[in-house]
Amino acid sequence: MTATSNAPVLAASNVTMVFGGLTALKDVNIELHEGQILGLIGPNGAGKTTFFNCLTGLYTPTRGSVRLKGRTLPSDPAQVTVAGVARTFQNIRLFPSMTALENVLVGRHSRMKQGPIASLFHGPSFKKGEADARTRCLELLDFVGLSGLDDELARNLPYGDQRRLEIARALATDPAVLLLDEPTAGMNPQETEAARQLILSIRELGIAVVVIEHDTKFIFSLCDHVSVLVQGELLVEGSPEVVRGDPRVIEAYLGKPPEEVQAEVDAYAAESSAERTSIIEPIRDRRPNEGGQQ
Amino acid sequence: MNIPIGWKYLAIFIPSVLGLIGLLVLIRFAWKKGTEYVTPRPTLSRPLSIGGAALGIVAALMPWATFVLNEGAYPDKSTLQFFDSPWAVSGFRLHTLLLSLVALAVVFAPIRKHRIHKALGWSLIGIALINAAFIAGNGGGFGAITSDGSSFAFGAVIGLVAGIALVFSGKAGPVEPIPHLSTDVSRVVAYAVLVVSFTALLLGVAMMLNAGGQGGVGNPYAGPIFLSLLAFFAGVLGALHAVGVTGWISRLSDKHKWFSIVVLLAVALGLPFTEAGTDYWMTTATNIGVYAATAIGLNIVVGLAGLLDLGYVAFLGIGAFVAANFSGAAAAKMGFELPFLVAVIIAAIVAGVFGAVVGSPTLRVRGDYLAIVTLAFGEIFKKSAQNDIGGLTGGANAIPGVPPINWFGLSFDKPLEIAGVKLPSGVMYYVLIIVLVALVMVVFANLKNSRIGRSWIAIREDEDAARAMGIKTGKAKILAFLIGATLAGVAGAVFAHKTSTVAYDSFQFIESVTLLAAVILGGMGSIPGAVLGAALLLVLPEKLREFADYRLILFGFALILIMRFRPQGLVPDKHRRAELANEGAEGVPIEELNLPDDTPGGAKAQVAR
Ligand SMILES: Nc1ncnc2c1ncn2[C@@H]1O[C@H](COP(=O)(O)OP(=O)(O)OP(=O)(O)O)[C@@H](O)[C@H]1O
Ligand SMILES: [Mg+2]
Repeated sequence: MTATSNAPVLAASNVTMVFGGLTALKDVNIELHEGQILGLIGPNGAGKTTFFNCLTGLYTPTRGSVRLKGRTLPSDPAQVTVAGVARTFQNIRLFPSMTALENVLVGRHSRMKQGPIASLFHGPSFKKGEADARTRCLELLDFVGLSGLDDELARNLPYGDQRRLEIARALATDPAVLLLDEPTAGMNPQETEAARQLILSIRELGIAVVVIEHDTKFIFSLCDHVSVLVQGELLVEGSPEVVRGDPRVIEAYLGKPPEEVQAEVDAYAAESSAERTSIIEPIRDRRPNEGGQQ
Repeated sequence: MNIPIGWKYLAIFIPSVLGLIGLLVLIRFAWKKGTEYVTPRPTLSRPLSIGGAALGIVAALMPWATFVLNEGAYPDKSTLQFFDSPWAVSGFRLHTLLLSLVALAVVFAPIRKHRIHKALGWSLIGIALINAAFIAGNGGGFGAITSDGSSFAFGAVIGLVAGIALVFSGKAGPVEPIPHLSTDVSRVVAYAVLVVSFTALLLGVAMMLNAGGQGGVGNPYAGPIFLSLLAFFAGVLGALHAVGVTGWISRLSDKHKWFSIVVLLAVALGLPFTEAGTDYWMTTATNIGVYAATAIGLNIVVGLAGLLDLGYVAFLGIGAFVAANFSGAAAAKMGFELPFLVAVIIAAIVAGVFGAVVGSPTLRVRGDYLAIVTLAFGEIFKKSAQNDIGGLTGGANAIPGVPPINWFGLSFDKPLEIAGVKLPSGVMYYVLIIVLVALVMVVFANLKNSRIGRSWIAIREDEDAARAMGIKTGKAKILAFLIGATLAGVAGAVFAHKTSTVAYDSFQFIESVTLLAAVILGGMGSIPGAVLGAALLLVLPEKLREFADYRLILFGFALILIMRFRPQGLVPDKHRRAELANEGAEGVPIEELNLPDDTPGGAKAQVAR
């Protein structure tokens, strides 16, 4: 555990998700503290996205509960967002024919107050609220590095920019916790580094972050705490150093018998630390094409 | 005047031979082999355009029919009267002449010509085909437009060749970009341009409404005259678009929004003072207004929130029946009669409540299933109205005798005289509906550019993502249904007072489809689109009356063509335009980028990457 002694911002306890005969998640416990960046790794189909869906109310867990600052979260995505948990999606889900700014403004929806009547008449207070929201959203676009692209349709943005726009849209909901599902998938090394910096500066805003990523180098260099999910179960958790050297993690990733893995870990321990992640890294290339789920 | 027969032959012979030579040139030389698309050689562009324009002029001055048709002379001296008064060109022959003269002038003007020639060429082809087809159909075969004994009438044929030549001259070269005219002009110039163009628009609309009279009864030629005028206007607009003028005007009006709105309103109110200011057109225009207001309401549900509603006309019906009951029959029985405005408000509320009720299944069902629910509701409404459930609709007897609106002693169904100018009866309804449509437009635009409107569009784009952004999608969708239905209810109340008899058969499935077609045809989510769509869908059937049974076929065919070639609608909303138009992100025409573009948006999306 990290040094933070306060109560966790987000706590999932015994979250279990069963689809028909398939247990996608089994008694998953996670605690996220203020100012923390938590990495969630695991092979394909481990249940990482399913876990996010349970956290955000898209799925209602079969068992278990999720608490934000001590309060149990409802199982309705809209209410969860209002409560302060925002997310991005594994396969980008922007509003393609809205402009970048409009996308972020939609994220601002739950923090704006204008009802139908005010929207009908566009009175002074409406205009003020609208102008404030615009200013805030333009700032957010600036923050994620999309300044000047506010009038561009989301569908016309390059891939990397779309991922950033999703983050800006999520930030517009003023979250306490931000869930990022593979934020660097499909990015080149420069973009990945920019994303790393971006996530670090999001932490500076006082937002706790959970990141799902297959790029272990990225995760180990970014996170304070890493949890490894394998076949729906939390296998290992701890600081990046602890997780990185754990033979079970390597086994789960490579599917090799423990003895063989142990031998590899020994060899691996002898290597320079800069190259350490290279054993697990080839996993990325073994990923099948991404499926249709979030 | 008596012209010797020899001259007659010569006069016919020379242009005909010219036309044939033109055709041969096209067939022999015009094609460049080996390219994917058939394109003429660039060097042929100039001769083709000069030849085409010259042939067009010839076509305009030639006779188009060899004899007088059964219902009387085909309009505007298209018959062999040519030899009596060759220069008295009017109607479609005047249009042909104008188009050709412009095409000729453009050849020698220092501007980009290809797009202009293509537009003018297609227009000429349209005019030639429409009139030729009609003369041939009504005159007993192609003899009527070619020769009959000693008489020749090659006008249509030569016009067709001229059009084809111009189109090919336009295709003989790269697609040129449309010039982007700057809107940095002085306020005076901008205002003047806007006033002139909106006035031109008014005159154009009046001309179109009046073309060939009211159709069917008045003039057996109304259909072709109208269609031919439509082809002419399409050519003019195409040419203006090619030189960047239409884009410029639309950007100017965006920049001076309020001025444009005021001028547009004034122009709309000016219609009764034009040649279209007859009882008949006032009634039609009022109906168009009713449909336009309803279509804009439907546009909230379909265009913004993306919920397909196949029974929408029921809300118009509910509004109409409520108003009819409160200010007509039922009310009279109970000894009271509500003023119009109160009846409107009640109608709006009742329709809105029904809208919310019909919208509530949207919480559970999505997409196609919702469409079925709305379809069922539309049918339930019709059947209930037909069977006079609750004695509220009069069943097959309808509700007759809804009193006309009467404000300050001014009865809306009477003719009006302002400063000595006699205005047709129904003009007050027309004014009322213009105001109503303007109000509905403001409602739509304000909602669209607000938190509520954005939430609707977000739901249309991706409902799950919208929920994840904190939008209560159920509430938002019901609100869309409620507001859309309320607007339809208001329109229905006006409709009831205007028609004075409200019967269930005005609110059948086909009307729902027409409204939906108006929205899609005009461009989903676009306000001018919905108005234009409603206008076209109501005016076309009026104008095409003499095609009787073929009317709906023609109509359906036109819809298919529009959807094939302009899936984003006639006046697309900026978002949809980007999604579906054949243009790249920066307005670069796809053809220029040399991408195969079979799937609308497909190639475009790749370009955008
Ligand atoms: N709605 C659903 N219905 C049935 N099964 C589901 C559903 N959602 C997820 N699953 C199953 O749950 C398991 C976990 O899937 P999940 O998407 O959470 O994996 P993941 O760890 O995110 O994988 P990846 O790295 O590929 O994104 C998979 O076997 C998947 O097929
Ligand atoms: Mg996943």
